[in-house]
Amino acid sequence: MTVQLIGGEMLQWSDLSGTHGPLPAGGPALLPLPAGTGGRTLVAGPHDPALIDAVPADQVTVLVRGVADAEALAARYSARPGVAVCCGSLEKLAAAPAYDTVIALDGLGRLCTPEAPDLSWDEMLGQLLAVLRPGGRLLLGVENPFGLHRLLALPPAPADTDWVAPDGPSGPADLHSRLAAAGVPVVREYAAYPTPGTPAALLGAEVLADPGLRGYLAATLAGARPAPQLLADPDRLVTGALRHGLAASLAPAWILLAGDIAAGPAALTANGELRLDGGAWVRGDGTPIPIGRTLEDLVLDACGRRAMPVVRELLTAWQDGPAAGVPAGQVVVDAAGACHGLTAPASPASPAPPVEALRRLAATLIGGGYAHLWPSPADEAELTALLAGMAGRELDPHSVPAGDPAGARPGAGSVRELMVARDRLEQELADARAKHEFYERTIASRDAELKRVRQMNALLSATVPGKAATTLVGGLKAGRRAMRSVVKRPRD
Amino acid sequence: MHHANHYYGHSHVLARYCGLDDTDPPRLHGYLQHGWNIGDGLAPDHEYVPGVPSFLWSERTRRRAWSLGRRQLYVVGSPFAYLLTMEPISPSEKREGTIWYPFHGWEGQHVVGDHDGLMAEIRRTEAGPVTVCLYWQEYRDKRVRQRYERAGFRVICHGYRGGWWKDLDPGFLYRQLGELRKHARVASNRLCSAVFYGALAGCEPAVYGDPMHLEREKSAFGGQERILREWAGLHGPHVDPAPARRIAVDELGADRLLTPPELRRLLGWPMPRSVEDAELTGVLTR
Repeated sequence: MTVQLIGGEMLQWSDLSGTHGPLPAGGPALLPLPAGTGGRTLVAGPHDPALIDAVPADQVTVLVRGVADAEALAARYSARPGVAVCCGSLEKLAAAPAYDTVIALDGLGRLCTPEAPDLSWDEMLGQLLAVLRPGGRLLLGVENPFGLHRLLALPPAPADTDWVAPDGPSGPADLHSRLAAAGVPVVREYAAYPTPGTPAALLGAEVLADPGLRGYLAATLAGARPAPQLLADPDRLVTGALRHGLAASLAPAWILLAGDIAAGPAALTANGELRLDGGAWVRGDGTPIPIGRTLEDLVLDACGRRAMPVVRELLTAWQDGPAAGVPAGQVVVDAAGACHGLTAPASPASPAPPVEALRRLAATLIGGGYAHLWPSPADEAELTALLAGMAGRELDPHSVPAGDPAGARPGAGSVRELMVARDRLEQELADARAKHEFYERTIASRDAELKRVRQMNALLSATVPGKAATTLVGGLKAGRRAMRSVVKRPRD
Repeated sequence: MHHANHYYGHSHVLARYCGLDDTDPPRLHGYLQHGWNIGDGLAPDHEYVPGVPSFLWSERTRRRAWSLGRRQLYVVGSPFAYLLTMEPISPSEKREGTIWYPFHGWEGQHVVGDHDGLMAEIRRTEAGPVTVCLYWQEYRDKRVRQRYERAGFRVICHGYRGGWWKDLDPGFLYRQLGELRKHARVASNRLCSAVFYGALAGCEPAVYGDPMHLEREKSAFGGQERILREWAGLHGPHVDPAPARRIAVDELGADRLLTPPELRRLLGWPMPRSVEDAELTGVLTR
């Protein structure tokens, strides 16, 4: 198969390798989506080849802008008839004949090249819709310019991709009317978390609207993310967004299914789909989803309210149950107070010992700025031992294993957590200095007291009764020594 | 940490609860509230060192102390409430009469008021026998003691408070509990720790009579008037015992007592020697 160069192609560029920006659209959550498509299909923009493999159509055109990517794809599909690889800029793509299906899960940001005229996001969407047959099918990924991943990002350094600053849509609501007007009304809108191109979870509106699923969703979205330098730990914000009904608005991206296509499952995660079965949420394999909030969320909430008895109850229920070794962020507490550990099949590692789960909770509490609820210095080991104590367990802080190195833990290296740590250490240092001064004063007064008592002792020893007492004590000691030697002798 | 931690044998009671030697309790790393009060839980003469935690009796006191700028606060409940868990009271215990705690000054303070009028009021109010419990200063004063005895009261004293690690009296709370559980009522002319203790130990509480005052008494945190406003339900010769008991539970933190492992960690106390494998296993259910 030869690559068709359509114009505007980039000779020294690769979007698939991840060397110029994030990895292409892909991941297990997106993988089931192409199954619902058919007819002449255009895969526009960089997509993980696994995703292209999943496209069922006989006639597939793949459009990429880097020559290296195009050649790699051509080699990959040399044996698959019906696959054509185009290389170049979207506006150069022949508009006729129109495609039955357009898959653009990577979004519109990597479709045009530096050779193309400056197009706004809306104009690019127009270009894409121009090659789609009215009434066809569209799978579209749309990055949210106001998503959590952007809100929490540190200011980025300009990259090679930034030859022009891209804009984006203001929200999915505009898109709905726009796509409906183009003859492909939206049938499903997913909130994609935690990264725009390679989301681990796609969440539909009915899933986000059910408060009982908050715990499960928070647990699913937590920890499934690399830990780049961020402004704050995203887990807390995700939990808050779920709670306040903002998870769709603040999603890093939206995935839209539009046109003549099935609406798809209510949610797709790395662990499979989520569906309603007889009024109850179940996973794809029929496992029921525990309804409630995560233990971590509940503990943080109770800490916020300073409700220490509630914290004790939660910790005791957790540590007394089978989920004792499951991290608090992966435990859902149901209405009856039972703890359900969610052990992700993706990481079937042996469950960590309870002390490790407690230590991670201690780290979360310190990072969350709750260390002041316990007497200082509440470092990780000390707080772990205290949390164990709150659960009625004995734990020596010296036996708490060392935590992950800073940065390996989600959110640990974030600016907010660093500020919290700095403030806490500053306070601890000030407290330690104040205590040091107090101890100095105390030692001085004890020294004076000791001196006085010794002087008094010397004076009293010099008196007649004092001398008599000294003689008596000396005599008693000699007597005791004599007794000991007598008692010991038979054993020799 | 602070000599007041050993007042009334408080640290001794906590040491026993923690499974440690209660004849010589270890140093307690923080300030332990030693009496019910309407301020930040600490005595006004406490030297406050930043970073040293305060162990308070009740959540209400913690909130108030926080609002007053105090930090490093932790609610542990009162030592008396811990003592009650170790020396529980059975409802079948025989109780009779009233134990009466006249308002007293502490070391170096003197109470001004009409003692004869108070005694007459006690006689009028109390139907059964009355035990008057005096503070050690007054008990040692023969004239004061005899005045109460002549009025027909049994006069007792629970012992020394102790101070500066001298005259420590580990038996104080035990003696107090021993007396309270023998009486049906507890009363005073001012709402104080003893009334709450009594209510928690199953006595019907009452606060009535001339509250008297101390020489040069400073009414910090709203003083006696605020006590009357905020805890009105405990004042009067006969109060509703059920709500009174609930208030006592709150003020003494009896519903938020800690487990020995948590208390030991907070106070900076060692594990008891009997738990040999605790150091090795990490987590050990107690």
